[in-house]
Amino acid sequence: MIVVADLWKTFKRDRQQLKEQPMNRAPVEAVAGLNLTCRPGRVFSLLGPNGAGKTTTLRMIATLLKPTSGTITVAGIDATTHPREVRSKIGFLTGSTRLYERLTPEEVVRYYADLHNVAPAKFKQRRDELFSLLGIEEFAQRRIGKLSTGMRQKVSIARTMIHDPEVIIFDEPTVGLDVITARHILDLIRSCRSQGKTVLFSTHVMGEVSLLSDDLAIMHNGKLCYSGTYEAFRASMQSPSLEEEFIRRVQEVAA
Amino acid sequence: MKTILVIFRKELKDTLRDRRTLVSMLIIPLVLIPLLMGISSRIMFSQIEKAKARVLTVGLMRNRNAEEFRTMLLKDPRVRVLDDLPLDSARARFEADSLDAYFAFAPDFDRMVDSLGSGEVAMYFKSTEQRDIETGRAKAMLTTYEDSLRARRLRSLHLSASLLEPVVVREVNVASAKEKIAEVIGGFLPYLFIIFCFMGSMYPAIDLAAGEKERGTLETLLTSPASKMEILLGKVGVVILTGITTAAVALIGMYLGIVQVRELPPELLKTVMDILQVRSIVLLLSLLLPLTILFSGVLLSLSIVARSYKEAQSIISPAIIVVIIPAFIGLMPGISLDSATALVPILNVSLATKAIISDTVTPWLLAEVYLSSLVLAGLSLFMCSRIFEHESTLFRGT
Repeated sequence: MIVVADLWKTFKRDRQQLKEQPMNRAPVEAVAGLNLTCRPGRVFSLLGPNGAGKTTTLRMIATLLKPTSGTITVAGIDATTHPREVRSKIGFLTGSTRLYERLTPEEVVRYYADLHNVAPAKFKQRRDELFSLLGIEEFAQRRIGKLSTGMRQKVSIARTMIHDPEVIIFDEPTVGLDVITARHILDLIRSCRSQGKTVLFSTHVMGEVSLLSDDLAIMHNGKLCYSGTYEAFRASMQSPSLEEEFIRRVQEVAA
Repeated sequence: MKTILVIFRKELKDTLRDRRTLVSMLIIPLVLIPLLMGISSRIMFSQIEKAKARVLTVGLMRNRNAEEFRTMLLKDPRVRVLDDLPLDSARARFEADSLDAYFAFAPDFDRMVDSLGSGEVAMYFKSTEQRDIETGRAKAMLTTYEDSLRARRLRSLHLSASLLEPVVVREVNVASAKEKIAEVIGGFLPYLFIIFCFMGSMYPAIDLAAGEKERGTLETLLTSPASKMEILLGKVGVVILTGITTAAVALIGMYLGIVQVRELPPELLKTVMDILQVRSIVLLLSLLLPLTILFSGVLLSLSIVARSYKEAQSIISPAIIVVIIPAFIGLMPGISLDSATALVPILNVSLATKAIISDTVTPWLLAEVYLSSLVLAGLSLFMCSRIFEHESTLFRGT
């Protein structure tokens, strides 16, 4: 379970921003008073246009960034006071995730298992399960640099799941992937849900939202425009399609 | 500690599979140094031999004087004499590199010498590094001629040669063979060591920080339970190891380079071998350890600030000048290890290496070098850890 309460993140203006608006020295509010609850066995979709604050939110939950204020609890652990423990409970997969080109899939997965302190017997069992499920075995000893994008993404999934995390965060995981490879990710998300894991999923693709979401939230300029169940969202739609409804809600807030 | 080891092992494996690192760590010091030393020494010795054996072309304008000098030159099979050569022709021949020396005797040369005065002779030569040996040979001919004239003059006056030498200086150099060698190679060795140590640390530092950031693998690593400090220490360990290994391999390369030079006098070779004892090598490498930590801290800091591998390269490459200058100052004569120079980073290691080779290092100065290097190494690691903690630096450009 992930519980986010009154979460704020501000950044100092960078050189470019100061150049564009020299009089405005106030910090940029990337996330402003965000509240979310992602429950086990459900997929929570986080939507929003570019620059809405989705990646910053996910990075704070994954303890990569420290919140300016507010609280984050992951699997009952406070993310700001016990970041290490939180990281041991989560799996984090992004669309921009790359792998070590000079290592083999076997070595990459073992490396992350070692970092997560997975016991040898558990590692063997998880490794065999994931490699067989994702069809990695045939290229397990080949260097990642020689693998196709699809093969690499499968290895990324295995790397994310090797320690059997309770909470999985997907940040635009299908960006730049072909349909077949993207399907693997969606299958994985479904399988995580059926295993009772908490899934937080950020995407731009409305088709994926309709396929997977149990709960959803829309962010714009660091704030929530909507938060609730997918069914409630559909019931309250004033536009014919999900995509148009998303645009309508964002424009409403922007106005 | 276990996590640091896990990261260290992975980073080492990854680094050793990087062709650029392997080239700078093994191929350049192990192949290029012996090859360059071999080729340059062969060329140098063959040039010396050639210059010694070459037939010198010497122009003369005797003005009907110094017949004895001419006869002396003609007797030497390695000298070709051009008689009564006008100065203009001599200058043209110097321009065309077809004349090695030109002697113009004053019209009253013989008369002055016979009347116990000083005969004047002008020696023209082209002073360049390539012609030093030939010029030296020509000067030696004139000196031999002068010696014979002096001896004859003293004989005619029934005087002893010692009359002109009221003081005979017998120079005795009490410096040990090691000290003499240290003067010659003592500065060069640490110069080479330090540069290779820096180069060996450079590529892994760029790859493990800016490279990892650019490839997007750093973000994933940071979501693992490993702390930033553990990640940093794992990376620092690899950068230190590659830096030290490159320096050690450079030492092996130098050894291979020296032993293949057949023209080297055996006593010189023996002294070099005496210097390359286990104790000296361990001492030299132990001096390099804090310096390599300093390099690692600085290089990783610069690398992590960069947005990409290319940007890191462009930031770090000029930094080699900061390393070369103090290492080069250590080569200069008159600069030695004292309580002040022992505090200057890089220069202190260079001078301490020189002192170790010549066996003149004092424990106190060595301790000062270690202490100042360790303090700086610690500071560089501290700075690096602070930069590594910075969110805006880690996620710059992502």
